[in-house]
Amino acid sequence: MTDQIREQISALLDGELASGEISLLVRRMERDAELRRAFGNYVLAGESLRAPGGLTASPGFAARVSAALEADGAAVTTPPVTGRHAPRRWLRPLAGAAVAAGAALAAILFVPGGGEGGGQLAESTAVPPAMIVASLPPGGASPTPAQNQRMAGYLVAHGQYASAIGRRNAWSNALAADPGITRVALEIVERP
Amino acid sequence: MRRVLVLALAGVVALAQPRAEAAAPTAREWLERMTESLATRDYDGLFIHTAGQQSETMRIVHRMEGGRSVERLVSLDGSGREIVRTPGEVHFYMPDRRVVLVEPRSDEGSLLKALPAPGPQLDSLYTLELRKGHRLLGRDVRVLDVRPRDEYRYGYRLWLDQKTAMPLRSEVVDGSGKTVEAIHFTRLEVGEGIDPRHLRPEVDTTGFQWVRAGRRGEPRVAGPPSATWLPRKMPPGFRLVVSRVQAVPGSPIPMQHLIFSDGFASVSVFIEPAAAKGPAPSESTTVGSANAFSTQMSGHVVTAVGEVPAATVRDIATSLAPVDAELSRSDTAPGPAER
Repeated sequence: MTDQIREQISALLDGELASGEISLLVRRMERDAELRRAFGNYVLAGESLRAPGGLTASPGFAARVSAALEADGAAVTTPPVTGRHAPRRWLRPLAGAAVAAGAALAAILFVPGGGEGGGQLAESTAVPPAMIVASLPPGGASPTPAQNQRMAGYLVAHGQYASAIGRRNAWSNALAADPGITRVALEIVERP
Repeated sequence: MRRVLVLALAGVVALAQPRAEAAAPTAREWLERMTESLATRDYDGLFIHTAGQQSETMRIVHRMEGGRSVERLVSLDGSGREIVRTPGEVHFYMPDRRVVLVEPRSDEGSLLKALPAPGPQLDSLYTLELRKGHRLLGRDVRVLDVRPRDEYRYGYRLWLDQKTAMPLRSEVVDGSGKTVEAIHFTRLEVGEGIDPRHLRPEVDTTGFQWVRAGRRGEPRVAGPPSATWLPRKMPPGFRLVVSRVQAVPGSPIPMQHLIFSDGFASVSVFIEPAAAKGPAPSESTTVGSANAFSTQMSGHVVTAVGEVPAATVRDIATSLAPVDAELSRSDTAPGPAER
């Protein structure tokens, strides 16, 4: 793997890779199993793993990332309309080249925790679950119109109760919500 | 003569002491002045809103009408979206979706007192520092740094107009010092004479869908009887200030809306019944300085939204739990947040 690719992966994980380059990188990952594995290792290495509050990656995450990358190789070009795993539901109604690239990345990045991660969380409300966060670049995985409208609705309602400057910021974000949004898929794992 | 001198000296000491102690309150007074100016002055300004790699020009027009503030915020070169706050409602025009979201305005009466405002508690959560800055827009400015003492909230850097305390520039800064959102005014008129016509939306709403939230429930100051969901453990300094039931535009089902505040930053939590489709994964969303975390528990979707770090909305969302209504009545009111 060349330094340039390393830099691109790093930039991607920092959300700083241009959308054109994202598409190229994704296409390359599609062809290159080694690159997909390397990408998984990068995710694990912490470039993209934000572990706020000292949360830690689950054992075997690297292996599962690699497995997911292998398994999702085909999904890079054709994200499934209805996948085995609930998380993929938000890949469906996406359009546009950059968005498609982002969706593919989402397919790569998201590591389903057996398909019922949300359910596990629901049962363990007392303790914030340990979780793994794989970040997507800004605009990488655009929300559906309904999700966008919903987020904007939340921000407008929230802004009504914020401080004067908080309201201005929240509402500015609602106005700008479309292009700057970043969505992050989370894998929930049980805390040991 | 000596007595006079002693008295004079005592006077100097007496004057000097409060001044030395007043360093922090002065910064706080600037913060209070800014909040008051934003809420009560008439102004019309253009600003650049920057979040991540996106920049957009926006306009804000604010006027006092009959003792109530009305305002309009519009994106000039992006989506064309507008938010207009009238005396009775908030209208959110989304031309990109051909939708207008309408919800009742929520700042009436006693509720105002519960809303976030700079207070003495701030000192335990933030350090405030005031200094002189370079001129902006031809005006002298004071720079106010609001730095959080922990990682649960963002910092703010505010460039305040010396005369009016209006923020001519503001930045939201994360724990690593990175600016997550910036607002930079390129033009600002402050004072009377702001034309009310500029408060009217410019969007042609022909054929738009109007989504009206409706008054499902009046906002209430927080108290156990009104809260069927309560936090078990909150990030330091955050406490429940308002609990209400409301219909959020875009959602068919009324939901519970809880507002938590640390006196400066605030986080909203929306709780609604989960769709029957089965559990969905937890999700984190970032829009500028706003983070959201959505998760499912006890058959509900809990979404926390606020201008705070992602970990804070996550911690708040995951700390909530349904409480038995009877039990909550016999409980004491939710006190200051646990550590």
